[in-house]
Amino acid sequence: MDGVDGTDRQEGKQDGPTPSLLFIILDTNPHAWALLQNTLPFSKAIANILVFINAHLAVNNANQVAVIASHSQRSVWLYPRPPSDPQHGDDSDTGMDDENKTDTSNLSDASKYRPFALIENSLLHSLRKLIKTTTEADIKATTSTQMAGALTMALSYINKATIAFLDTGAAAKPTPTALDSSDKAVGLQSRILVVSVSGDLAYQYIPIMNSTFAAQRLRVPMDILKLAGDTVFLQQAAFTTRAVYLQLKNLQGVLQYLMMAFLPDQLARKHLVVPTQEVVDFRAACFCHRSVVDVGFVCSICLSIFCTPPEGAICLTCETQLALGDYGNKPAVIPKKKKKKKRALDGGSSRATPAPEAA
Amino acid sequence: MPRAIRGVLVKVDPSIKAIIVNIDAENHAFIIEDLDEDHLVIKENMVSVLKGRIDEILAAVLTVSNPNGAESDSDY
Amino acid sequence: MSDPSLASFEYLEKLPGTTFNKLYEQPSTALAIFRRMLPHLAKTFVMTLLYMSKPLPLADLDEWVEPNSQRERGDALSTLSRLHIVAITAPSRDNPQHVSLLPNFRKSLRYALTGGGNHHSFGVPSQDSDPDVTIEALDEYATSQWEGILHYLVHSVGGGRASGKLSESVTTLLTSGDLVRRPGSGPGAHGITKSGFSFLLQEVNAQVWTLLLLFIENSELLGMNSVEVLSFLFMLGSLELGQAYTTTTLTESQLHTLNQLVDFGLVYIPESTPTLFFPTRLSTTLTSDATALRSVGAGFDAAIASRGGESQGFIIIETNYRMYAYTSSPLQIAVLALFTKLYIRYPNLVAGKITQKSIGEAIRHGITADQVIAYLNTHAHPQLHKTPAALAGGPVLPPTVVDQIKLWQLETERMETIPGFLFKDFQDFKEYNDCSKYADEIGVLQWKSDGKRTFFVTRHEQLRDFIKSRKAREAAK
Repeated sequence: MDGVDGTDRQEGKQDGPTPSLLFIILDTNPHAWALLQNTLPFSKAIANILVFINAHLAVNNANQVAVIASHSQRSVWLYPRPPSDPQHGDDSDTGMDDENKTDTSNLSDASKYRPFALIENSLLHSLRKLIKTTTEADIKATTSTQMAGALTMALSYINKATIAFLDTGAAAKPTPTALDSSDKAVGLQSRILVVSVSGDLAYQYIPIMNSTFAAQRLRVPMDILKLAGDTVFLQQAAFTTRAVYLQLKNLQGVLQYLMMAFLPDQLARKHLVVPTQEVVDFRAACFCHRSVVDVGFVCSICLSIFCTPPEGAICLTCETQLALGDYGNKPAVIPKKKKKKKRALDGGSSRATPAPEAA
Repeated sequence: MPRAIRGVLVKVDPSIKAIIVNIDAENHAFIIEDLDEDHLVIKENMVSVLKGRIDEILAAVLTVSNPNGAESDSDY
Repeated sequence: MSDPSLASFEYLEKLPGTTFNKLYEQPSTALAIFRRMLPHLAKTFVMTLLYMSKPLPLADLDEWVEPNSQRERGDALSTLSRLHIVAITAPSRDNPQHVSLLPNFRKSLRYALTGGGNHHSFGVPSQDSDPDVTIEALDEYATSQWEGILHYLVHSVGGGRASGKLSESVTTLLTSGDLVRRPGSGPGAHGITKSGFSFLLQEVNAQVWTLLLLFIENSELLGMNSVEVLSFLFMLGSLELGQAYTTTTLTESQLHTLNQLVDFGLVYIPESTPTLFFPTRLSTTLTSDATALRSVGAGFDAAIASRGGESQGFIIIETNYRMYAYTSSPLQIAVLALFTKLYIRYPNLVAGKITQKSIGEAIRHGITADQVIAYLNTHAHPQLHKTPAALAGGPVLPPTVVDQIKLWQLETERMETIPGFLFKDFQDFKEYNDCSKYADEIGVLQWKSDGKRTFFVTRHEQLRDFIKSRKAREAAK
């Protein structure tokens, strides 16, 4: 109010934190959950995750959430439901089946914040349908989960949401000027949380690693919450995207872990010491048999990895004719003379160069 | 035991501070503590009076020399 | 005060702890305060503590926070304890400090997240509905009510010509809040006041909060229970647009509040069914934040467009500071006149110039450069959006003008005043050092001088406790 006093104008300059999108990939592998039946039943895990989702939405009004199930045969959207979901249409046609009845009664409960209730209903509804439509044959067919597909869908959804957010926000985009020197993070802050129960996913090595690198480029952290099993590539994914990796030992406290380690978004994590893994398993899977290898063969042209030299020394990916050099020979003993050390080393490497071969 | 004194911290550039010190020199009614070259603590009830005085002095000292403003009046 | 939450925050802070305890009995209030009032890190702390079975040792919390972020940590903790959300045990030698959520808040926030309990604090929806009440109709109603208030303010610029539409209670409120002065209430004192000017340029949400706070203060004078009114407002913020709610479960004060809010355009009560009320966009976004408000703006623009008014931008700014505004709305012209020097007025166009004097005038009225720029930005003519720079994703307004407006503001920012307390006369350097460090951690330190062993803080309560407990520890040794 006063001509000389700038105090009032100094305040209120800080904007609210930017909204964040939480993308949860829920591993619904029936085999793995069956093993957890005694320690953490599926229903209890879902209840905990719902509280966690509500907590995320409570933090900021504009926060968004999306949930996808990585099932044994396919990845299925749980929330938001795809608009073109034909089964959804069927459902409303058949009218008031049990679920729809509970839906309405639940929504008019005045003790529940309506957005929370809406998500809960939608999520549980989709989950029930997913479980209903899973046949025994599906379960028998595989014991794994479609993690790679789910990750790809997550990334495309995040990309779409980011663009949509920038579009709506463009109108209010302030004019950048020379006087503004703040380089604040703008736009939607997205992150992925994978709740994983399945074991090794070696046969999906390539698509998982591709999505990991895509996430790294998009600066989307891929948080991993491991309830059971151990997956090399998810460890690497969390490490590459600088995200949280937790392998739970005590499954009873899963909600506390969710609240403490996974709820803080990128903004809050700047101020916190984030739990990360001490040791990362950096092993890769070979392209030929999808098995995790310690030492393998790398194609010098396309960098494909093989556990044994491919047949006829032709790379399976790029079909280059490779030479194996004198692989398998015992290393030649080069007499060591301190003065001539350098030359000896030179000789060694020049011999190895033309032959694409082992690491 | 440390002492706590209620007051208003004023952050200014040295030129304005010089003006404030000048005003205070008349009857020492404003400044509680002179902290450093751009910080002062003044009495809480005197803030608005002080601001008024500074406004007056600045208005007298600074003659508006803005080609924009001068030109604008003439070109309509 | 461009941030509405700041204003409400300051009001809340003055309330005694018992009031907070009562407020937190409602999960909707706990949720709204959590969402709206807390710094980001504080939210993280609350969520971490929410499901912890025992109090968390403060030392553990410190280890969790990055060493570089101690200031944020202190800021978060002091806000939390000022809002009576956490309790920190006093330090003693045998028992290290612990943090925990206060039971009322913990219980309510848990209920809010899990949807348990039987508190009905998120509004009782009615099964009946009125087919005439659409979201568009609600938007239109809210816009016309709110514009009515703004028009009243603007017309008072020209000498207090009150439009008869406003109810007596609203005008009383505006007067008591010193936004306008009634003609005849003093010599030469009629028309809009300085705070009225800055009110006009605020965001809608900020304006709503300003009026509501005035209302709460007034309601106390009328003998109403401010806790009930506040929790009712927080409940409104959690309702859903377009849904009918029943009034039968409300208390006496809440019903009175409701009637007042009808005048503001925050709720709509159909004449045919007086037991139902519909929240409008103004109220459902009460506890939202800026990003959500953009959609409010969009909603209002749509509402105005449907009435055939100017929803498009209408202002053209040239690099030579000339401004042309294609508008005939007295409200828009009055707002423009706050910070431009207007020369020409045609039936559908006003022309003027932004000058150092006009901006200086605006700043003296409490309008900030950012507000001016934001206003120009949101109302920029489509033609400005077509400039090569704007098409390439650059600024819409000419950068020279934007920079100059900011520079003109800087010219007026010659001093900054911060009320608080000066601490001096410490016994030794160690005492000074401990205290100033602590003050910095809790985020109240403004200035310090190691040489003079003196420092300045904005509040002293926590620091006083710290000095006392430090004394006690020294004595014990």
